[in-house]
Amino acid sequence: MLAAGISFAQAQQLAPSPTLDAVKARGNLECGVHLGLPGFSFANDKGEWSGLDVDYCKALAAAVLGDASKVKYTPTSVQQRWPILQSGQVDVLSRNSTITFSRNATLGLNFQGINFYEGQTFIVRKSTGVKEAEGLDGASVCVAAGSTEEKNAADWFRERNLKVTITNFQKNDDAITAYDSGRCDAYTAGVGALAGQRAKLKVPDEHIILTKPISNDPQGPVTRWGDERWQLIVRWVLNGTIAAEALGVTSKNVDEMKANSKNSEVRRLLGAEGGFGAMMGLSNDWMYNAIKQVGNYGESYERTVGMGSALKLERGQNQLWTKGGLLFTPPFQ
Amino acid sequence: MTKALSFINDKRVRDWIYQIAVVVFLVGITVFFVRNASENMVKAGIASGFDFLWRTSGIEVPFVLTGYTQADNILGLFWVGVANTMLVTVIAIVLATLLGFVVGIARLSSHWLVSTIAGAYIEFVRNIPLLFFVLFWYFGVIAALPAPRQSISLFGVAFLNNRGVTIPLPDGMENFRIAGLVILACVLVYGAFSVWARRRRERTGQQAPTLAAGFVLLLAVPLLALVWATLATRWDVPALRGFNYRGGFAVIPEFVALLAALVTYTAGFIAEIVRGGIQSVSHGQTEAGSALGLRSGQILRLVTIPQALRVMIPPMTNQYLNVLKNSSFGAAIAYPDVVSLFMGSALNNTGQAIEIIAMTLAVYLVIGLAVSALMNWYNARIALVTR
Repeated sequence: MLAAGISFAQAQQLAPSPTLDAVKARGNLECGVHLGLPGFSFANDKGEWSGLDVDYCKALAAAVLGDASKVKYTPTSVQQRWPILQSGQVDVLSRNSTITFSRNATLGLNFQGINFYEGQTFIVRKSTGVKEAEGLDGASVCVAAGSTEEKNAADWFRERNLKVTITNFQKNDDAITAYDSGRCDAYTAGVGALAGQRAKLKVPDEHIILTKPISNDPQGPVTRWGDERWQLIVRWVLNGTIAAEALGVTSKNVDEMKANSKNSEVRRLLGAEGGFGAMMGLSNDWMYNAIKQVGNYGESYERTVGMGSALKLERGQNQLWTKGGLLFTPPFQ
Repeated sequence: MTKALSFINDKRVRDWIYQIAVVVFLVGITVFFVRNASENMVKAGIASGFDFLWRTSGIEVPFVLTGYTQADNILGLFWVGVANTMLVTVIAIVLATLLGFVVGIARLSSHWLVSTIAGAYIEFVRNIPLLFFVLFWYFGVIAALPAPRQSISLFGVAFLNNRGVTIPLPDGMENFRIAGLVILACVLVYGAFSVWARRRRERTGQQAPTLAAGFVLLLAVPLLALVWATLATRWDVPALRGFNYRGGFAVIPEFVALLAALVTYTAGFIAEIVRGGIQSVSHGQTEAGSALGLRSGQILRLVTIPQALRVMIPPMTNQYLNVLKNSSFGAAIAYPDVVSLFMGSALNNTGQAIEIIAMTLAVYLVIGLAVSALMNWYNARIALVTR
């Protein structure tokens, strides 16, 4: 009777999470990533993945399984990304995909926060003298079919009565190859993607990325509907990496902070008090593992797309709100 | 009892039972899969049904034949894709047939160089995948053309560059409609005249000047009508402004590349069908033709090819269907066909994978069945009638 009562109480607290159970049973996290986008998700010649989106997969694996290396990456194209997540082939999709209303409302997808604020812009040849998107009147623009960029660009030019020919390629790589071969005057994508893809051009120095974005494309990890507890974990691991930066916890000082910090929020984040991990069915050192092994959001940003990387993107909008950016997380309370 | 058994033993009855069993099985399996898929989609929170077709598409298409604009709905986008698929398929079939006939006949030429070149072309084409041709024409040939500012000018009215071909577009079609009516009238008059001339020849043996009448009615008057219409129409001539030529009608390089790839590729296969068809006609027919005093061109045109056609039609049907299916390779180079626009852009925007794939499948099925029905009808019409 008592045993039944306890198990009932536990069942109340922890609704079943088929995804979490599957990840634990499998011993690794299945993470959907981009086919290859330097800075975000890119495999080197040894098959080791790195990038901002990949770092999120690693942090989640560290939080759930205690080991950031226990991730199986599934590279996905623009076309494959939703079906692969919907059909359950991956546990989470961490692939610079824009969060939109219709994707949320009709595709059975949930977006669990934002790990990269992005704006869409254009890359053009320096020789054209174009400085801003308005100067592209009459131009031909290459874009990946079915991306949010395809519609954004069409809307943006139509609203301004500018005549632009938009040519839709099936893959980002095809579109940029066509741009490089002279088929188009411009290629459009997010700032981060452009910075990464510029390196693929024959002579990167002949091209410039227009600075003023024409849209707002927030991106973050995606889950499918129906497993609320898994969504909770996915969301709060992302929040945890951002909160760690705000609280000054880094991969270097995490041991010291866990042992000595007087700040209760730090102690709850790192599992020194509060038992927050157990509330989601994880071990209490979930965020300790993630930060120890992968680092906080800022460390990850600098290493993958920021000044410590080849992309050299400013923090900009992706800075903490206390430092003029947009990153903000609810408290660990 | 015996009556019931004899009923079962009737072969026709049994055949019917088998047929019905197969149909019931297939329908059952289909219903099972459709229900399974829709239940799972409801569970996963994925919208299903065809309502999405009426959502605004928002996708800009560079090559439109239907009057579609970005503000139209997704169904409109679908028709743009279907029209573009059909356009490239029909033109490719016509051109590939012409080129295939030339190459196939050249292959049989007694001239060593001609037949060797034709043979080399056929072997080259048949042993290389189509995707190579598509990419070769797109990135190898079209992309190698000069940029808009250095366009190759054709008589100062049409311009060729790596953005395609820009040709003048008439402001209105009225004059061309009049010219068309004039030409139609000429053809009808010529037809009536030649029927009258033949009847008179059969009755009296007198020749009528059909050749002269043909020259006037089928060549001179139509040409004059077209020249008049061209001169009387105001033309929107493309002019270089900013990045590219504006005005006129732009044929996009993706269309040119896909068409060139389909034509050069399919012609290789058609050439082999033509060769096989001609070689299937026994040599005795050629000898009989020359015994009648026909020249070799006449033998080919009047004796050999009509008989060879009977052998050629069924495999030609296959090639035509292949052209239709292969037109989907356009998706590799951003030609806005039904695969690229509907299964690409629309699918990614709406996520309605099952509905969109089913509709795309239906497009190929319907066009394919129509092409083969047409070819079968033609085949039945020219089949050898034996009594």
